[in-house]
Amino acid sequence: MPAYWLELTVTAAPEAVEAISELMSRYVQGGVAIEEPYRLLDDGQAPEIIPDAPVTVRVYVPENEDGSEARTRIEEGLWHLRQIEVGDIGELTVRRIAEEDWATSWKEFYHPLHLGRRVVIRPSWREYTPAPDEVVVELDPGMAFGTGLHPTTRNCVLLLEEAITPGASVLDVGTGSGILAIAALKLGAAHALGLDVSSVAVETARENAAINGVGDRFEARLATLEGAGEEPFTPLPSNLNILGAEIGTFDLVLANIIARVIAQLAPALVRATCPGGALIASGIIHERRALAVDALTAAGLADIREVEEGDWITLIGRRPTNPMEGQ
Amino acid sequence: MAKKIKAIVKLELPAGKATPANPVGPALGAQGINIMQFCKEYNERTAAMAGDVIPAEITVFDDRTFTFILKTPPTAFLLKKAAGVEKGAATPNKAKVGQINRAQLREIAERKMKDLNATTIEAAEKIVLGAARSMGITLAD
Repeated sequence: MPAYWLELTVTAAPEAVEAISELMSRYVQGGVAIEEPYRLLDDGQAPEIIPDAPVTVRVYVPENEDGSEARTRIEEGLWHLRQIEVGDIGELTVRRIAEEDWATSWKEFYHPLHLGRRVVIRPSWREYTPAPDEVVVELDPGMAFGTGLHPTTRNCVLLLEEAITPGASVLDVGTGSGILAIAALKLGAAHALGLDVSSVAVETARENAAINGVGDRFEARLATLEGAGEEPFTPLPSNLNILGAEIGTFDLVLANIIARVIAQLAPALVRATCPGGALIASGIIHERRALAVDALTAAGLADIREVEEGDWITLIGRRPTNPMEGQ
Repeated sequence: MAKKIKAIVKLELPAGKATPANPVGPALGAQGINIMQFCKEYNERTAAMAGDVIPAEITVFDDRTFTFILKTPPTAFLLKKAAGVEKGAATPNKAKVGQINRAQLREIAERKMKDLNATTIEAAEKIVLGAARSMGITLAD
């Protein structure tokens, strides 16, 4: 293995990218990385590729004779491509990067993470000795959302610690990695039901619950609540269950999703909260606060409070024991 | 799932053979995502397509989780396969390395249609032909 690599980058018009990628792929091992410029829509949730904007194509060659040869060939190839006018092609730029053990170096980003007052998220490759009142959730980052690095997850844990009662039943809508449900179980909940519209999330949440020794008290289902079918935010899988009143009620309901989905699900979320129980709704970007608060209030949630971090708001409210109270 | 997109990267990789080395490591490593999981998932999903180049479009979220979708093989890859050549011309402005016929052109355009910025099949064919020209592959009459 060489100690250094050369990152060869060229920026070009979209119509030239296929030809450049083909050219570069001839001289490298592994493959080609392409970055198309995009803009974010819907509060940063959905990307849109900007048409006609220059695209970046990148490959890596070793810093040795073979690499220099590849670089020369690529530069020559780009020159020829420019002659047939396939679209604007910029100059090749070169950056030297050190060889790393990429299979493990990403792990350096992760350390035990304190959420709320008592919850600690520990990656499997880190040691941590908890203080007497702390609970440790072992969780490795992957494809299911919820690593503890996001403000919404942190705020949910903060409010969860406050709202949880020993022996409580918990519903976690949009469970992702299962982080919140597992934290709830470790903080004293008796059992938890986690729902998600992603099968990757359902499987990951199940695995994480088992790793944390709470698998027997946690159920993960590929499902959501009534209301999600209307203008779904993400395409919903065809085998998704849409659950109604039959799931009963829970002492604590968690929904760390996004404002629009919380508004859609508001009646079902409040209905799933037992009278006197708490509902924590999160993933609400500042500008969409009213959308979520209004929908939850209309659905009968009372005593709504909030915590804020950065752009994000987390709400907690109570379902009144007397139905007239919330009116 | 209160996620915000942090980065989007497309990687053109050999199906079933992604490794944490280049370009996956440096392209995704800086994002701090679980590279081993990406390679494993990519290889599982593309195992049946061995021999093809299958691009993966990876979306990284702000808590360093990620998701990815698979795209159709690059036009250049499909053109080389159709023309039966290993690589494009080093000097496409002069040398011609191979030919495809109209039926092959239509087939590639149809396959690529959903990933191309084209609304009609004719427009998609035009893009495919442009890529062919840049590789020294011509259309047989």
